Amino acid sequence: MGKKAASNFFIWGTVICTTVFIWLTIDTHITIPKRTNTDKLTDEVVLGKRVWHNHNCNDCHTILGIGGYYSPDVTKVYSARGETWLKTFLKNPESPDPQRRKMPNQNLKEDEIKKIIAFFKWVDVIDTNQWPPKPVAEAKMIGAAPKETLLGKNVLAQYRCDLCHKIGEKGGTFGPNLTHVGSKRDTLWLAAQIRDPKSHNPNAQMPAFPQIAEEEIHALVNYLMSLK
Amino acid sequence: MAFDSQKVALKYFVISAIFFGLQVIVGLLLVSKYIWPDPLIGILPFNTARAIHTNLLVVWMIFGFMGGTYYIVPEESGTELFSKKLANLQFYLFLLGGLVGVVGFLFGWTAGRPLLELPVELKWAIVIVALIFIFNVFMTMIRTKKWTAIQGLLLGGIVMLAFMWLFGIPFFKNLTLDYYYWWWVIHLWVEGAWELIAASIMAFVLLKITGVDRQIIEKWLYVEVALVLITGIIGTGHHYYWIGTPKYWLWWGGIFSALEPVPILLMVFDTLNHVKHKKIEITNLLVLYWAVGCAIFHFIGAGVWGFAHTLPVINRWTHGTQVTAAHGHLAFFGAYAMLIMTMVYFALPKLKGLGQFNQKRGFWVFWITTISMVVMGLAFGVAGVIQSYMQRGLGMDFLTVQGFMRPWFMAVFFGGLGFFIGVIIYIIDVLQMATRRKELNES
Repeated sequence: MGKKAASNFFIWGTVICTTVFIWLTIDTHITIPKRTNTDKLTDEVVLGKRVWHNHNCNDCHTILGIGGYYSPDVTKVYSARGETWLKTFLKNPESPDPQRRKMPNQNLKEDEIKKIIAFFKWVDVIDTNQWPPKPVAEAKMIGAAPKETLLGKNVLAQYRCDLCHKIGEKGGTFGPNLTHVGSKRDTLWLAAQIRDPKSHNPNAQMPAFPQIAEEEIHALVNYLMSLK
Repeated sequence: MAFDSQKVALKYFVISAIFFGLQVIVGLLLVSKYIWPDPLIGILPFNTARAIHTNLLVVWMIFGFMGGTYYIVPEESGTELFSKKLANLQFYLFLLGGLVGVVGFLFGWTAGRPLLELPVELKWAIVIVALIFIFNVFMTMIRTKKWTAIQGLLLGGIVMLAFMWLFGIPFFKNLTLDYYYWWWVIHLWVEGAWELIAASIMAFVLLKITGVDRQIIEKWLYVEVALVLITGIIGTGHHYYWIGTPKYWLWWGGIFSALEPVPILLMVFDTLNHVKHKKIEITNLLVLYWAVGCAIFHFIGAGVWGFAHTLPVINRWTHGTQVTAAHGHLAFFGAYAMLIMTMVYFALPKLKGLGQFNQKRGFWVFWITTISMVVMGLAFGVAGVIQSYMQRGLGMDFLTVQGFMRPWFMAVFFGGLGFFIGVIIYIIDVLQMATRRKELNES
């Protein structure tokens, strides 16, 4: 092959591949409205995307698997965590454990939180060809806590129960010590106590937590019940 | 050095080296945040630091490419640069743009898209810089009597680089479309435009140090860049598996990107072949090391590491994990950092008229940076495999898995520390050569 043939190979190879690529791009454009539900892509979602950009969230978190690998992927965060959790977390994302990686508070306004949640809700149902994949097996390690216990711990951390209650070595002393709460109380009592402490004691100092979602209360109570 | 105006390249090389050093410092900071609690979270949180780390990378590499281009174009065209003034002006504008960008990030002035965080105003300013650059290069080239493939492909590369940049400027309402065109910048730069520039620069250096017939070198240059673009353009599809784009991209992207290592492997053989059939004695042994090392590292980092997770069946599990970070670090270093260092160690002594120069330090840089980068790449890779297995495969919680990856981030940190030492020596070497008074023994 001479230089002339090589240069022809270069020119035609590039032209043909570019043409195919543009053709695929056009087809992709035609397909995207259905795969991403553009009918649900409201102004609020777009404003939420702006909030996402303004705080440069994408340089810590991945979305659709793209971005910084420092923090969890948020593609499915809406369905995984739910709206209530997101609202509370975005308001105050600080983790109570200083040893763990934490998210700095972005000082989002109420309406910014609403918008970014709308954005997450829209992203959640993009057809990603089943990504992220379903795990092939649930982790079962000796000594590892079951998934629900982890979730319960998360809820506990989220609502800062540790400010008043002590579990083991950590926590405040304002409220009762919860280290062995599982052997003292039952599930129903705990659930009622968290929702409305005054239902048990009209003079209770503990604030009510009606904003905690049903499944979160369930996880939290299960965790507390495991503390024997 | 044949023409006086080639000297404008000097300041490009110096700034390129300094920004390289800054990038590595921020990189060390980033990996520390993975390992230890972060005392800087209020001042320089991870996202800001990452924006600075990646943008400094792009800026120092483009400074390197521009310097290389300004060195090559007069010599290839057989004429002085069209305008030395424009080349200087463009240098200061680009420097200013880069600095404003970095300082802006510290104050939260960001477009919030990874790697393309520069605010829209600055992005347009960069377009102006690029236009000045292209204009200057083009006006020099048209004075030439005989167009060479190196000239043509170099010009093609910088025009493509500037053109793809435009797709990174608009705001997209739809996240899927946003990322669709985001890759037109990121992927079509590193697996398209930048490859054109790098291959042309490498062809030029090989031509000069080996004395092999231009016809042969340029023929292979054509074949390589043809294969790069044939596999690379449709290979963009390996980023379109999971972002809301149609399923057929799994096939298009999978097949074409699986072929992407072919041209890179060809470059390795080609480089070795040219060196084997050299017509002149290679006096600058250091450049030879960098050139051959670049070809091999390019193949490992971009070719092997890229191939390892490009097929959809694997990418499904590794997408969005540290496996990508392993590939990114190895590939950028092998394909572009080493190329720029090849160019600098080739051109800088010539620009200063140093017939002989002390290559000892350059060899230290070579071995320290390459070995450290291998350590970093492997450590990131192991961390990525752990993450893919535990988080994606076993469905474990993100932060829990990060705990298991910690020892490997320690390894990245120590690799990075070694790398930083290598880069410090490189900066000292570049600065010392660049500020040296001209000596009597003109080359």
